[in-house]
Amino acid sequence: MNLSEIMVIVLIVLPSSSFVFLRRGMATASAVIAFIELGVVFWIYFFPPPVGIFYVTPLTWIFILMVSSVYLLATIYSIRYMEGLKVWISPSHYYLMLNLFTSAMLFSLVINDYGLMWVGIESTTVLSALLIVLEKNENTLEATWRYIILVSAGVAFAFISIILIYYTTGSLSVSVDTGAGATGRYVSLAVGIALLGFGTKVGVFPVHTWLPDAHSEAPPAVSAMFSGVLLPVALYVLYRIYEIQPMPYLYGSVAVLSIAFSAIFLGNQKRYKRMFAYSTMENMNLALLGFAIHTDISIAGAILLLLAHSYGKAGAFFSSGSILKHTGSHKIGRVKGLFRDLPMTGTSLLLSSLAVTGAPPSGVFFAEILIFMALVTNGYYIFFVITIISVFLSFVSINYNVGRMLFSDSAGIRERRSSLTYISLVSSIMPSLVGILFLVGYYAMF
Amino acid sequence: MMLVNEVIIPLSTAILITAFYVQGQAFISSMIRGQAFQSVLLAIISLIMGYLTGSFDYLALAVLIILMRAFLVTYLLERKMGEEKSQVQESRVNVAYLFLLSLIFIVISVFIVYSISFSHIGLRTIEAGPDVLVFPITLFFQGLFLIGSRRNTFAQIIGYIEEENAIVLLAVFLIPIPFLVEASAFLDVLALVVISSLVVEVKQDHTRIEELRG
Repeated sequence: MNLSEIMVIVLIVLPSSSFVFLRRGMATASAVIAFIELGVVFWIYFFPPPVGIFYVTPLTWIFILMVSSVYLLATIYSIRYMEGLKVWISPSHYYLMLNLFTSAMLFSLVINDYGLMWVGIESTTVLSALLIVLEKNENTLEATWRYIILVSAGVAFAFISIILIYYTTGSLSVSVDTGAGATGRYVSLAVGIALLGFGTKVGVFPVHTWLPDAHSEAPPAVSAMFSGVLLPVALYVLYRIYEIQPMPYLYGSVAVLSIAFSAIFLGNQKRYKRMFAYSTMENMNLALLGFAIHTDISIAGAILLLLAHSYGKAGAFFSSGSILKHTGSHKIGRVKGLFRDLPMTGTSLLLSSLAVTGAPPSGVFFAEILIFMALVTNGYYIFFVITIISVFLSFVSINYNVGRMLFSDSAGIRERRSSLTYISLVSSIMPSLVGILFLVGYYAMF
Repeated sequence: MMLVNEVIIPLSTAILITAFYVQGQAFISSMIRGQAFQSVLLAIISLIMGYLTGSFDYLALAVLIILMRAFLVTYLLERKMGEEKSQVQESRVNVAYLFLLSLIFIVISVFIVYSISFSHIGLRTIEAGPDVLVFPITLFFQGLFLIGSRRNTFAQIIGYIEEENAIVLLAVFLIPIPFLVEASAFLDVLALVVISSLVVEVKQDHTRIEELRG
């Protein structure tokens, strides 16, 4: 076993080792572990990519970076958010589940076996279910149950795809199968079934129905992890299967349909967390569209979108948590005068909502341009027209609602600044940094 | 081929009968027992396949099915039902109507899926035509229908387990996948049942909630 493989094992084992601190100091230990984890991620970048038990390509590394950095932000955010909160599971168990959940995501990313990738994705459902129901009430219980049963039933369907991959290629190795050039009826069937199966977790229409419920009822840090990294990890697994035999029209059509429906759903949202959940559905399907077109430009666009979105959406959910703490309401219509009353939280909400809807200089903006360019240059004109209209409608819906919350009359609340507001602000600025770094990199290259 | 016709196909048919038995029940304890019996039948098929192919993986799989599905899952679900388990039932559904509806849904779905996707596939395990795949496909749709048609948490868990049993049966007939993957998948399903049973403890029925609409 070489050093890079050992580092990858460390990466997976590190968060799960936190059970040592279960009796005492779990919150601090989790934050320290998350910080070390991010350091390890940067370190493994300088090692040759392992191909064996693990398969870590530059693409995988970007996903690992996303998971580790959002995990760090979510852990630090949780420390303050959990203070004084009446919870069903103990705070120590909350952090343990959060850490194990992160381990499962990292495992799904790096393992060089489609079957075990499936196991990793299914484990994320098991390990994250109790995180949604942290504040036990009728709504969180129902949302948790819908998440468990819908996602498990959907992902179980994806196992048929794994069986068919093994049947047609004789191997479950990701590194072997993606380069084997396998074709035929049953390969197509496997790739098609994967879209419906793993698509449930990605948030593809019409199997997305768990997504708004789970995102809106989970604590903000968990919503940030779900939206920012869990769905992208599922999309990564789906893309690895898609690479066996790309089917741009099937995947593209489903992605475009999902983008259009998310735009329709967004027009009728009354709760801000639910609104951001539908925005996640839109962004995930834009990334799926980028992967589906399968050109260098569209794939670059999809990756850039996922990276910028992970921080932007984390910022949006962190801001939502801060708003909820101050106002006690989930409803858009009941939250007023954020800019006057909660200037820092209001700023992070505005920055994050602009970022995830694709306003410049956010990375999402440049990513959308890349995906649109790929659509036009490759002749997907119908996809282009429907997508650009839907993206515009989503932009208007989200920012109109955020504007109502920000620029209305004061409700007379005073902002209590804490790590919640600072973490929200840092997360909201990150998508713009990603966008600027992309521009700098682009001009340096050409 | 004789063993397939005289043993595998009758056993597979019996699995489908258990699935329809489960669909026709209003009392949850009957559904759980139906699921346990279905898992035992699945384990027997796996044992026979192990005998036919000489593969140790099938034997290990049979042991896993018996231990985890037939015993552990059944035990966990029955324990969560509490003292009055014989009284727990799905009260707001018309079982006979759902049974008929499931038959129509399944006949149509299986016909479409089998004829489009699996009618020409060759099995890599036994000398039989692709028509034996009708059994796992039917079981899969029956499991899905059970999840969709019931509001009770226990019934939905059983639907999910039926769906998983269908996938195991498909793999058993089509191509045995590596044991490590199979075993991990079993553990995942077990963990999911454990987590689900925690939710069951406080919420047994599922209805529309205003905050979760739209």
